[in-house]
Amino acid sequence: MSFADIQQQARQSWMRFARPDVPRVLVGSATCGRAAGALDVLAAFREQCADDPALKGVDIHEVGCLGMCYAEPLVEIRGSEGSSVLYQGVGVDMVPDLVREHLGRGKPMVEHAACLMAGPPVEGLSRFQDLPMIRHQLRVVVRNCGIIDPSNIDHYLARGGYSGFTRALGMDQDAVIEEIKISGLRGRGGAGFPTGLKWSFARKSAGDVKYVVCNADEGDPGAFMDRSVLEGDPHAVLEGLLIAGYAIGAGHGYVYCRAEYPLAIERLRTAIAQMREKGLLGRNVLGAAFGFEITIKKGAGAFVCGEETALMQSIEGKRGMPRSRPPFPAVSGLFGKPTNINNVETLAAVSAILEKSGAWYAKIGTEKSKGTKTFSLAGKITRTGLIEVPMGISLRTIIEDIGGGVLHGKEFKAVQTGGPSGGCIPAKHFDLPVDYEHLAQVGSIMGSGGMIVIDHESCMVDVAKYFLEFTENESCGKCVPCRMGTQHLLRMLTDIAAGRGRVDDLETIRKIGDTMTKASLCGLGQTAPNPALTTLNSFMDEYLAHIEERKCPAGVCRALIRFSIDAGQCTGCMACTKACPVQAVAGKKKKPHRIDQNVCIRCGACRQACKEGAVMVE
Amino acid sequence: MAEIHLTIDGRTVTVKAGATVLHAARQAGIPIPTICDHKDLNPYGACRMCIVEIEGVRGFPTSCTTPAAEGMQVRTRSPELETLRRRTLELMFSGHPNTCLVCPHREACESMRPMATKAGRTTRCGFCSNREECDLRNMALQAGGRDLNLPTLYAAHNLERDDPFMDRDYNLCILCARCWRICEKIHGKPAISIINRGRQARVGTAFHKSHVHSGCTFCGSCIDICPTGTLTDRFARWHGKADTRADSACILCPEGCSLTAHVKGGQLVATAMTAFEPDSSLCALGRFGYAQIVNAPTRLLRPTIRDNGESFSVDWDSALDAAAAGLSKHESALGILVSAAASREDRHLYHLLAQELGAKFAAIPATPAGTKPLLPKWVTGPKKSRSSALILSGDFLEDKHLAGLDFLLVIDGLPSPAQERADVLLPAALLSEAEGTFRTASGQIKDLARSSRAPGMARPEWEILWDLGQKLGLKSMAFDSLDHITAAVGEDPAPQAFADAPRHDVRTLPAFYRGHRTADLVPALEAFGLSATPRPLKQDVSIEGFQLLETRELAPNMHLLRIKAPQVAAHAKPGQFVILMAKETSERTPYTLADWDAEAGSITLILEEVGRSSRELALLKAGEVLAHVSGPLGKPFPVAKKGTVVLGGGCYGIGAILPLARALRQAGNHVLSVIEASSAYLLFWEEELRAVSDEVRVATKDGSRGAYGGVQEVFQQIVDQQPVDIFIAVGCTFMMRMVAELTKPWNVPTFVALNPIMVDGTGMCGACRVSIHGETKFACIDGPFFDAHGVDWDELACRKSAYAREEVEALPQAVDLSALMFPGAARPRCGCGR
Ligand SMILES: Cc1cc2nc3c(=O)[nH]c(=O)nc-3n(C[C@H](O)[C@H](O)[C@H](O)COP(=O)(O)O)c2cc1C
Ligand code: SF4
Ligand code: SF4
Ligand code: SF4
Ligand code: FES
Repeated sequence: MSFADIQQQARQSWMRFARPDVPRVLVGSATCGRAAGALDVLAAFREQCADDPALKGVDIHEVGCLGMCYAEPLVEIRGSEGSSVLYQGVGVDMVPDLVREHLGRGKPMVEHAACLMAGPPVEGLSRFQDLPMIRHQLRVVVRNCGIIDPSNIDHYLARGGYSGFTRALGMDQDAVIEEIKISGLRGRGGAGFPTGLKWSFARKSAGDVKYVVCNADEGDPGAFMDRSVLEGDPHAVLEGLLIAGYAIGAGHGYVYCRAEYPLAIERLRTAIAQMREKGLLGRNVLGAAFGFEITIKKGAGAFVCGEETALMQSIEGKRGMPRSRPPFPAVSGLFGKPTNINNVETLAAVSAILEKSGAWYAKIGTEKSKGTKTFSLAGKITRTGLIEVPMGISLRTIIEDIGGGVLHGKEFKAVQTGGPSGGCIPAKHFDLPVDYEHLAQVGSIMGSGGMIVIDHESCMVDVAKYFLEFTENESCGKCVPCRMGTQHLLRMLTDIAAGRGRVDDLETIRKIGDTMTKASLCGLGQTAPNPALTTLNSFMDEYLAHIEERKCPAGVCRALIRFSIDAGQCTGCMACTKACPVQAVAGKKKKPHRIDQNVCIRCGACRQACKEGAVMVE
Repeated sequence: MAEIHLTIDGRTVTVKAGATVLHAARQAGIPIPTICDHKDLNPYGACRMCIVEIEGVRGFPTSCTTPAAEGMQVRTRSPELETLRRRTLELMFSGHPNTCLVCPHREACESMRPMATKAGRTTRCGFCSNREECDLRNMALQAGGRDLNLPTLYAAHNLERDDPFMDRDYNLCILCARCWRICEKIHGKPAISIINRGRQARVGTAFHKSHVHSGCTFCGSCIDICPTGTLTDRFARWHGKADTRADSACILCPEGCSLTAHVKGGQLVATAMTAFEPDSSLCALGRFGYAQIVNAPTRLLRPTIRDNGESFSVDWDSALDAAAAGLSKHESALGILVSAAASREDRHLYHLLAQELGAKFAAIPATPAGTKPLLPKWVTGPKKSRSSALILSGDFLEDKHLAGLDFLLVIDGLPSPAQERADVLLPAALLSEAEGTFRTASGQIKDLARSSRAPGMARPEWEILWDLGQKLGLKSMAFDSLDHITAAVGEDPAPQAFADAPRHDVRTLPAFYRGHRTADLVPALEAFGLSATPRPLKQDVSIEGFQLLETRELAPNMHLLRIKAPQVAAHAKPGQFVILMAKETSERTPYTLADWDAEAGSITLILEEVGRSSRELALLKAGEVLAHVSGPLGKPFPVAKKGTVVLGGGCYGIGAILPLARALRQAGNHVLSVIEASSAYLLFWEEELRAVSDEVRVATKDGSRGAYGGVQEVFQQIVDQQPVDIFIAVGCTFMMRMVAELTKPWNVPTFVALNPIMVDGTGMCGACRVSIHGETKFACIDGPFFDAHGVDWDELACRKSAYAREEVEALPQAVDLSALMFPGAARPRCGCGR
């Protein structure tokens, strides 16, 4: 079958799926949706529809993630009237109503809806692309996520999938690389190295056997962009890998995926089997003189295995430990052969670029940072989720417009980007354009795209300590600056948080941080001090308060705070008494309560429980 | 091969393609500090000491991993590089107990303690068996002052000393990975590797198996390549650095592996591989057993003859006369039985002797575990067919073979039952004690070097045989020199190799050496299934008696022992001590009473693990019974109201001053307790002391807690602030001496608790003799407290180190093999309080 036939067939299958007169239910059941109960909701829909003979024809599908984590589980319903409505926060108890009203009677339930996805307008519902969270986004990498059934290759094909690859196949290999260079795409795995340039190195390396590797070992705490793409649109990544393989002359690709992503691995397996069925893998891919195979490798869960040299060691069955470069993987990589390694998001962008053209991609973004970038928005923000924005968008737009501002309208203090390798950007840089250069300028990094919003109730020492706890644990232990440096940084941060800090610790943190940045072997150690160094630079007063006044201004560090109850505000509702795990709060009903400081363990449960805001922290 | 030209520090260097920047710098004589790099290993790039700056290359690449490239511009020295290297070194040392390097008293202390203390855990250079050979230490000392002032982060890994030959203390490990890289290089699949991550990262076997079960062949190369004191040869470790090295070969099996003998003061302390190459590896016996055989305490020392059923030691001449006389008399029925584990020269002379005397001759080959050598018919056959006179060079025969012999000449270095019947017994030099040549199974002839001194009057066998030949008037045995004998050997056949070379498989280690069971000579070999001569079973120990009620490691090396001893507890007074014996075979060793409870009938001691006896005690488990506790011994401290008393405690002394503080305070004194330790993590009992003192101050030798320095620095502070009526110091001799010298000019009465070697503890043996103001005293009955200003410190130091060598040799014996034999058995967990 020719590719045109394959596409034709796929379009037919997609048409049925997309036809506005067929009622259907799409349940967002990626890992994030599942965590919110999507599978129960899915089962409930199946049951309800099976019970009613009139609804036998309803198509029920699982789809990937639309990125609106705060609103999960998300269900898109299209009734016979043709309007596709996205419902948010769907619980099993809502299913009978939704089935009856929307599917049965063709009456969308506006009170549960988030937006209109497609079809005739519905009174009181804005369109998906007009939602404040979506309006500023540009969905390239996640173009299909939440829209297609990721276990159906036809859906991908019908939406232009693999046409980028067929285009590449018709081009000279160097021309493919040139196309990527034109696009200006830079690696999305963290360091931002120009992808086209990297490919050209691997292409130029001598050798018959070469490899391409997809790095799907997303290990930053709080980052889940890669997982979403793999779960919602695996073919976008696999097509990118195929193109990379063709461009550099590799016959074998590996996808190195963390074992903690079972659904992603399942989706990849299904997708690879489908590729083989369609002739997109094998000795002669689509009948061309290009052979390609893909193997999935499960990672053992060490953060450092995301580092490219460690990752390759791990694929080889050795302990995942970085080694010094040069030689670079493009010269001597997997099994000593020239290897090109790219991140999930990079490859998903590659397939889009080959489909649409490098020039198209280069129009997006800023001069040096082209295209779009995904972020996982988390922390103290109203709308958490996965977003994709053009490079150069301001932090303010991301946080205020897309994210809906700081949670509960509190004051914005800082944003942490780049996870454990990144830094904290203080509020004064609120209008900073988000791209590689500007983030670096303020001491942070793009990283893989974690973005954690911090408000005034978060302590910066505590934030730094949190990330150092992570890196101290995840340092592979090979090189001295990182292994010992993380231990000392964590020790001093712990001391400071516990009120045992000394002023000269701050100087030592700087000195050790500098040594780690310059002398560590791999990126983990080189960037591990960033959370400490950037908070120290921007929030020196907070550190000094901990050390000199033995106070935690944010009221977070347990050793330095005490909770007390403002007798004036306390109504004696006893909510705090019930919440306290150690019975430190006492008081009669309707009378002001008191906290016994000797018993209190400073967990803050009372403060959260109190509706009057009577629990004070100092 | 292509050449590459690069510039290093302004100098043009030409190297072969494939060389690294480090190679190039070395070639040009430009020094770059390295730690993980080793000439016999592939580059690894972990220590980061070898960083350089390269024009056009971002950051600071490591020269050991960076290939040299044409036109490269390298700088090895710059202020920034120096700073980074110094800080990296400091970071590395912060994970490696190192307080000696920053201690203000280092030089004085080292001059008083020339040998490292044989502590259990190495918590500083002064406790490290690698001290003399440590490059890191030199590097750190050269680097001078500190920039980061980091406290030591002690990892508190369990000590690993339950395998047959190695002691491993991974708390010293700097993760340079030399060990497992060499293991991988030599064995392909390494027995050890780096395990865990982050703070927990360390070297170890898969699944924490013991080395015996991990595929380790005990080649010892990891020990020899480790730059720190982490991995040590238990037998050799405390002997210090060898003064002589000699290449030779092992003759314990037909392989005849090359080895290097490490010799100190004429004594063989170890044998090791000649090179870090796969085909140079040694088996467990060659690497670890060889020196133990040579140093066996049972070695034969003197020629002995038997007359009328009685044995006499005689001089060589008389012994050889007696041997010659006996042989001449029994010439017709003579047999000669020797071992194949001998030099070609020895074999040849025996052979010649057999030819001359018309004797039967057999050489018994070495055999692997599980097999027994075959003996010739003329010793095992029916009585009539046997030789009635024998020359026996080894231990091959049982009583039944020996019965009815008319004449027996034994030439050997080790004892055997046959010797009791020998008419003449001649002590032979063994292994590294004799020169010669050896033909290996592969047919190669290797030189055997004479590198160590034979014990007593023992002599090389070829010398003995040569002399014997002269006594017998045998012309054919008259040679000018050993070389002549060598030349006369000719083309001897190569011995038959074992099916599997022992160096590849621990299960094929040679079971016998000259007929002696190797497991008798090297008891640890039992771990590999080699059997020793059955020994009488130990009697059951009763659970009554001096039961150990509690045992805990308070801080590294510092163990708290609570022992049931009602009589001692009932009569104990502050300042007194007890003498303990862990087992019937243990030495008697004194320990100060740190606390007691007359009602419960228990006493508490703080024991510092610094040698064999304290190790035996430290390894006892709660519920076990000590062989003996005697006490309370010594004079109690005269507690009276004096005013302000300042107590100083270091090491075990921290425990020892507790009852004193309590009693002195009860008597109405103002009590200040000062405690010292190398580093904060080694402190203990601070709170306990606070409860019985008016004030507690702390000093650490690295400044990680309290004052920077020792007790003496704090004493000085106190004197500057307030008048003091008495000083009391308990701790190591060095500390007490420093205190004595400090307080002397102040004219404040100062007492120290002396801790010389003691045996009986009752004033009879005199071992504990000390001089106070020129007068002889016995510490056990006149002390332990004496006027610090009257002590003859030099004499004390000298007497304390009198048995240094014996103490070193006693250590390897104290190995608990039961943990090894039963790998499932619970291992004592580290309880060092962290
Ligand atoms: C400690 C460490 C962890 C990393 N983890 C990941 C990861 O989880 N996923 C990833 O794609 N890249 C990770 N990277 C970056 C990769 O090493 C590499 O830069 C990336 O895969 C290159 O692909 P790109 O060119 O597409 O960015 C990590 C790097 C370091 C130093
Ligand atoms: S920087 Fe950290 S993670 Fe990287 S090699 Fe060094 S120890 Fe390992
Ligand atoms: S003794 Fe030899 S085999 Fe055993 S761990 Fe060390 S290097 Fe490996
Ligand atoms: S045990 Fe010794 S050789 Fe092995 S990593 Fe540690 S310091 Fe290096
Ligand atoms: S010698 Fe180069 S990193 Fe250790």
